Amino acid sequence: MVRLSRREFVGAAGTLVLAAGCGSEAARTPEPSDAEVLDALLARELAVPALSAPAAAALLAHQDAQHARRLRRALRALGAIPPPGAPPPGDDPELVLARKQEMVFACLDALPRLRAPGLRELVMGLAASEAEHLAELRAALGREPVPDAFAGDTERA
Amino acid sequence: MSTVAERVSARFASARNDAGLLQAGLHVEEVCALAYAAAAEGSLRGAARAEAERFAEHERRHAKAYATMLYALTVPVREHARAQDLEALLPGLAEAGEREALRRLEELEEAAIAGQRLMARRLRAREVLRTVAAVMAGGAQHLVVLRRRLGQSPPTKAFETGA
Repeated sequence: MVRLSRREFVGAAGTLVLAAGCGSEAARTPEPSDAEVLDALLARELAVPALSAPAAAALLAHQDAQHARRLRRALRALGAIPPPGAPPPGDDPELVLARKQEMVFACLDALPRLRAPGLRELVMGLAASEAEHLAELRAALGREPVPDAFAGDTERA
Repeated sequence: MSTVAERVSARFASARNDAGLLQAGLHVEEVCALAYAAAAEGSLRGAARAEAERFAEHERRHAKAYATMLYALTVPVREHARAQDLEALLPGLAEAGEREALRRLEELEEAAIAGQRLMARRLRAREVLRTVAAVMAGGAQHLVVLRRRLGQSPPTKAFETGA
């Protein structure tokens, strides 16, 4: 049986009310366009260093390249010019874990801002993939692959 | 498409509004919790059993997150998944061998992710999408562990769709 504390309920309701634009600040701040949201995600994607080791890292770097391609294609479809560039090579798994965790958070933050349903689906798939990368990289490093229920978002909250 | 995927997909597809979508999500997460618990009590042993027990707790937390969203939309949660719901979706899971149990759990996690992607397309209250996506990301990480145990390569996808 699911039980909610009063604090949890009030917190969730408050979040909804604020996010719906009832807060005066929220009402005044213009929402970013879908292209701006995707552009920010692409910048984060390109900031994840491409590891050559452990062995699993090559696959992750390959899939990261696919992420960047899909984001660029979506940006072009919106009439935007995607930035050039590729992820830098890297040899620090800790940095990659940190960047990928940031990428997961960026995707979660981006989702409510995207207006186009198809783009929301795209970013859901991207968020899931980056969360998988975190688990896979942790496992390859001999760590607990899934330390929390919400792909790191528990600790962030 | 598997029977599990078809049934979970039908539950999400039949939702007529945000409350219906979130109720579908709640139900699936509750069934996931029951499924991991049943597998842990069944054929899984050692590390796989310990993981299933932990993932069952994760799924209970996912379900609680859905319940919180429903309460925030002032929708009361009156029904919860029961053992018969698990048996209807994954019959014989508790008696399945280890590999078969892991394979069915994988199917269920993938079906949940497919449903959550549908929610991303259809939810009108976009502000709850962040929480839905956090739940989905947690499920995607479970998938990596299940695929690794099943020896599947690669255990990750460039775009995880649940299909």
